Amino acid sequence: MIELRGIVKSFGRPVLRDITMHVPAGCLYGLIGPGASGKSVLLKIVTGLMRPDAGSVHIDGRDVLSMTDLELQEFRKRIGMLFQNNALFDFMTVAENIAFPLRRLFDLPEPEIRERVAERLACVSLPGFEGRMPSGLSGGQKKRVGVARATVIQAPIVLYDEPAAGLDPVTSQKIFDLLRAEQQASGATVLMVSSDLDRMLTVTDRVGMMYKGRLIFDGTTAEAYASDDPFVHQFVHGIPEGPL
Amino acid sequence: MTTEQHASSSVGNIDEDAYVKAPTGLAALGAGALEFVVAGRMLYSVFVKTLYYTVRGVRRPGAIAQQMYEIGNRSMVFLFVVMGFIGMILVYQAGIQTKRVVPDLSLLGATFLELLVRDLAASIGALMLATRVGAGIAAEIGSMVVTEQVDALRMCAADPVDYLLKPRFIASIVMTTVLITLAAGVAFGTGMWTGYAFFDINPRTFVNMSMVDAGDLTVGLTKCIAYGAAIPVVSGYCGLTTFGGSEGVGWATTRAVVNSSLSVIILNFFISGAGFLVFGG
Repeated sequence: MIELRGIVKSFGRPVLRDITMHVPAGCLYGLIGPGASGKSVLLKIVTGLMRPDAGSVHIDGRDVLSMTDLELQEFRKRIGMLFQNNALFDFMTVAENIAFPLRRLFDLPEPEIRERVAERLACVSLPGFEGRMPSGLSGGQKKRVGVARATVIQAPIVLYDEPAAGLDPVTSQKIFDLLRAEQQASGATVLMVSSDLDRMLTVTDRVGMMYKGRLIFDGTTAEAYASDDPFVHQFVHGIPEGPL
Repeated sequence: MTTEQHASSSVGNIDEDAYVKAPTGLAALGAGALEFVVAGRMLYSVFVKTLYYTVRGVRRPGAIAQQMYEIGNRSMVFLFVVMGFIGMILVYQAGIQTKRVVPDLSLLGATFLELLVRDLAASIGALMLATRVGAGIAAEIGSMVVTEQVDALRMCAADPVDYLLKPRFIASIVMTTVLITLAAGVAFGTGMWTGYAFFDINPRTFVNMSMVDAGDLTVGLTKCIAYGAAIPVVSGYCGLTTFGGSEGVGWATTRAVVNSSLSVIILNFFISGAGFLVFGG
């Protein structure tokens, strides 16, 4: 369960304004909104990578903001994250990238690590890519390697920042279906940011919409589709004319 | 309910121009001073963390050797060429100036060697390394920050200071000392050639170590180690505090070169002063 209360963040200008949000345990929560509305910053605050100016973050009842660096390191074993820019280590091979969280966070034997890396690569349709360098991959392939790395530790909390950006529609749908299947199998709590609304909303349980640093909608996916709020309606249905 | 009414009810009253105003006048001065203090504390914290991880951090086979190659081998030609020319210029200028006062240049080599050992080789060499190595470290770490690789490291419980800075710190201390020692030899060699070619000083006369004592060696070695430690810490701090995109990386690189060079000059002042107090002139 992820619980945010009164989150405020400013970088010279306000980016997040009094965000209060609740992601129930085992829920696949989609966070939508126009660009620069603060979605990625919110994800980083949830992980403790960024500190808010005010507010509190509780994950499974634990106060993230009061944790020491060591406590945070330990706590991050419970969080998997896909970054917006994939954040693949460019000095490591694909296999080393995916294995990195396993090697750092868990004491697993090498054969098991190799097996899990191969299994993850097969899941994202990149079998045999173990020895490739990130610089030799296309944007979509990098994204899929990022997804493989985010899911390899099978964390109970998973955050995805644009998991389908740069992917073709078929691969994009495959990725969303994969993320949904994994979430259902593991029961993980997932917070996902994506601009690919049509596909993301086919897999989410709940949706929140952010606009100019505020959470202006929080409800089920069906409620988002049916909402008569002009902002939500325009954004969800992709209507060019409107208040956005 | 109209569209406008809906809009105001869901979004609320958002002041789009709610930027924090930049301070002016005395407030700007105070803000600048505060920023300087905060940066100083953060730099100190990075330094302490680097020392901590040097002792207690995770061992990564090959990481230090790779950085030694990057910092040492790749700087060798640049440093040797610069120090070679510095050696020639200094001996030529010193020879001309000395001849105006006394015709005897027999101690030119001895004084040149003392100058090289005590100060010049370490300081000039470190300034050159600050430009080449400092810029490289800041650009590399800075681009990792803007592409979120540093955040990804943190998510995997890898402190970027331990993972990125520590190998560079150890490699820089070792390689700065080695490079500067070799570069001093190059500078002395080119100086000796200049003395022979322009002032007819016999190389046997030029190679005179009578003026170099344990104090000079201690001060010179201390400088090598201090500069070798300061360059990666200052540059790494600049890289880790990169903000924004490629423009931010550019600024981080510039800051790294300027601040590393400044740190070399400031350390030189303090180490030279301490050396003077302990060992005399």
